[in-house]
Amino acid sequence: MKNQSYRNVNENPCNMCMPMGGILPFKGIERSMVIIHGSQGCSTYMRRHIAEHFNEPIDVASSSLNEKGTIYGGEKNLKQGLDNLIKLYNPGMIGILTTCLAETIGEDIDRIAAEYKAERGLDRLPLITVPTPGYGGAHSEGYWLAVKRIIASVAEKTRLHSRVNVIVPNISPADIREIKRILQLMKVDYTLCPDFSDTLDRPFVKPYVKIPEGGTRIEDIAAMPGAPVTIQMGVTVDEGMSPGKYLEEEFGVPLVNVPIPMGVRATDAFLDTLRHLTGRERPDILEAERGRLLDCMIDSHKYNFQGRSVIFGDPEIVYAVASTCMENGIYPVVAATGSKGAKFSEAIKKILAGCPDETDILNEADFTGIREKSRQRGANIAIGHSDGKFLTEREGIPLVRIGFPIHDRVGGQRLLSVGYTGTGMFLDRVTNTLLERKHSNYRAAMYEKYYTGTA
Amino acid sequence: MAIDDKTLEAILNEFPAKVKRSRKKHILIKNSDAGPQEIEANTRTIPGIMTNRGCAFAGCKGVVLGPLKDMVHIVHGPIGCAYYSWMTRRNKAKSEDPKKNFLSYCVSTDMQESDIVFGGEKKLARMIDDVVEIFNPNAITISATCPVGLIGDDINTVARLAREKHGINITAYTCEGYKGVSQSAGHHIANNGLMENIIGQGELEEPPAKYTINILGEYNIGGDSWEVERVLKEIGYHVQAVMTGNGSYEDLKNAHIAQLNLVQCHRSINYIASMLETKYGTPWLKVNFIGIRATIESLRNMAQYFGDEALIKKTEEVIEKELMEIEPQLEPYKKICQGKTTFCFVGGSRGHHYQGLYGELGIKTVLAGYEFAHRDDYEGREVIPNIKPDADSKNIPDLHVLPDENRYRLKIPAERMEELKKKIPLSYYAGMNTTMQDGSIIVDDLNHYETEEFIRILKPDIFSSGIKDKYIPHKMGIPSKQLHNYDYSGPYAGFRGAVNFARDVSMSFITPAWNFIVPPWKDKPLLEGSIEQCSEGVCPVDDDKK
Repeated sequence: MKNQSYRNVNENPCNMCMPMGGILPFKGIERSMVIIHGSQGCSTYMRRHIAEHFNEPIDVASSSLNEKGTIYGGEKNLKQGLDNLIKLYNPGMIGILTTCLAETIGEDIDRIAAEYKAERGLDRLPLITVPTPGYGGAHSEGYWLAVKRIIASVAEKTRLHSRVNVIVPNISPADIREIKRILQLMKVDYTLCPDFSDTLDRPFVKPYVKIPEGGTRIEDIAAMPGAPVTIQMGVTVDEGMSPGKYLEEEFGVPLVNVPIPMGVRATDAFLDTLRHLTGRERPDILEAERGRLLDCMIDSHKYNFQGRSVIFGDPEIVYAVASTCMENGIYPVVAATGSKGAKFSEAIKKILAGCPDETDILNEADFTGIREKSRQRGANIAIGHSDGKFLTEREGIPLVRIGFPIHDRVGGQRLLSVGYTGTGMFLDRVTNTLLERKHSNYRAAMYEKYYTGTA
Repeated sequence: MAIDDKTLEAILNEFPAKVKRSRKKHILIKNSDAGPQEIEANTRTIPGIMTNRGCAFAGCKGVVLGPLKDMVHIVHGPIGCAYYSWMTRRNKAKSEDPKKNFLSYCVSTDMQESDIVFGGEKKLARMIDDVVEIFNPNAITISATCPVGLIGDDINTVARLAREKHGINITAYTCEGYKGVSQSAGHHIANNGLMENIIGQGELEEPPAKYTINILGEYNIGGDSWEVERVLKEIGYHVQAVMTGNGSYEDLKNAHIAQLNLVQCHRSINYIASMLETKYGTPWLKVNFIGIRATIESLRNMAQYFGDEALIKKTEEVIEKELMEIEPQLEPYKKICQGKTTFCFVGGSRGHHYQGLYGELGIKTVLAGYEFAHRDDYEGREVIPNIKPDADSKNIPDLHVLPDENRYRLKIPAERMEELKKKIPLSYYAGMNTTMQDGSIIVDDLNHYETEEFIRILKPDIFSSGIKDKYIPHKMGIPSKQLHNYDYSGPYAGFRGAVNFARDVSMSFITPAWNFIVPPWKDKPLLEGSIEQCSEGVCPVDDDKK
């Protein structure tokens, strides 16, 4: 097989497209809806995949462009789509995402959105445009760009206040809830954006409402420029897409970029940041959770140390998982993302510095490339989203699911992996997967190796 | 509770006036006294209305081409569409040669911004070279996504040159997502391409067996085709090609030799069925292998077509044997399901097919519809001459075929054909409307708002549709049954499939999890009286249904 860099084929992709990622942050803003300007298939396909991950209704509108629109432009469709969306959902904010189609025919969505607001007298309804052509980047880039555009469109110069900005990447609703719990335990006032902890993992409540309760409040986003600091879990985010960087440059809000608090060091770092801010020490409850995580790591080390991991997915998650694996001797032999971005390689190299074996770092990877490297490097545990099942099917490498999308198992939205407690739960999933693999064959392997000498 | 014109009016009043006028034409209340009722279908989707419809690419690559297992299906475009159509329909396939099954591969040119600016033809050509080298497939298809047509990549020429270079069948499908009004356009494009480039390319001149048939419009979701083929083989049929579930290029290229084409999903494959009749003289029979009665009727119609006494006898024997096996198994499920109601909203034929199976379990379909069907799928093929072509349907050219000079054969004498047409649905589909009960709702291109409103009013016991809308009823306290991908279950076709379906549907009614969840309308007592307290978190539920 040819060298990865010379191949023209993307074979079994490790990423989705930009508008897919752009939808998710809008789902974390209070009473927000999204319309995708393009063929209706884009919206349908993405809703399908997001619904399968979160097990929730995912309403995303489409301007349903057709052949006529490709010639005369899609302005009429988009405006009609907005009319219907507003009538049926009465949203507090609408995200307008573009697609391959809209960008290729050169739709000026900023102009259309501005005109629409003026025509309909909707001065107070934020219409947030995000240019997300499918060829413009992976879903991770779409996510960050959408967060940045939401903040940039709504944020206003405000008087200083004490609420800390917390910007989170595409982690699970359970993870977001855990981060909020930690912030509360540290008695920190915060604005967390985007907060899809309730909206994409809604409790069963009556009656059913079309737009779920929860999400970051728009007035809180507007006040983000008055925050004392922005804590952004985005060490791999390129500066051009970084919402925290935007708040720093435009409004002078100091930016602290931290990794997702996963593993001892990263969680310590997150809590240290909060300690510096508040002057408050970790409360006993978190101290105990930290102690339990250490206890878990010690108890499991003899199994974990045998793990050789292949890690893949969104850059920020790969970074966090890799650093957790490093702390536990589950040394990564392959770390891969379908995204491209210089910062990922640079950042992850630093945390992999102590790895006894060199790690193969793959940018813009597909699963055929990841599989090839995993086989060469003798990986025995895969950690990442569902599409890694290809590695299990073809190479017998068991998969621990984390990240997005998880479409072949339920509960992706409930997977907890951050903070001391979440890290412990994640580690148990990894350790038990290694143990299951061991128990499935170790008696036979020993018998053959030591007794019959046939192995 | 039923829905009358007034209630319907109230539901639609929530829409802006123009939308209301349009949607009104897409919804019928079945009334057999009113004569044939006309419904609007296959027209443009209203923007922003939260439709369930997909695009031409989804219909072409995702539905029709995707299941062909020994071919590599290249998606020419940015990565998203390839990813989203990767193993998402759960069409199963097993290959005799494991090296010739490429269904688990997603192969894309992954176009970047520079490809959009400078064109992607060269990249596609290089990629085909790689695909031939890496996979060595029996054939290759290339499906276009939106930007390809817009930037003017000539994928047909790239395919032709590659075909000459590599000496294998390589064909291109210009199924950009913006074409047509739904996935239906993509089915048509794929039908044209398969007919033009693959079917009839094989060298067989005579049918390999006495009763050689093709199954059209069967996609082997959850193994449906395997259950159907099991029964057909036992009766003595030889299945030449399945289009396209578990299908292959190798079988498809000789599909011209069949003596009869069975059409399961009328919407997605009727073009090929008609063209095969014109070109090779092979009649097509509308069958339905979902539901026990429908399966039996389909098998009897097939036997009648061939008209062979031994075949007719064998058919009855197999039916009897199968019924003896499944009837006792079905009994307990029928007791659970009796008296329940359902919605049945699927793509282009299952919305109709599943009503019979539901009915056999004692479940009444109170609302049904299609995502992307045409008027003939509702009203029957007799309306086809009355369907006015519009700008969107004209964009998908009809492929005009002529009788093949060497291979056209009358399969049965013309006189007998006319005789048979009176008895069995040869070259005919009667549509969904005829089988619906009076007062039930028929709705085309159902959207999320209407779904919610219809549920509130009709209060079905189960909702059958797909993954995009199934979580709405869940949140409203109603179980769902996915009829697109079967919730990872199946097969549901044929005799044994009916038992699987009955089991899965019954499970939804009796799982204790629902005891904690009461649909909103069941909170309100229908009779005056005292309300018992819940004990230990377990609420008495469904008392009115016991």
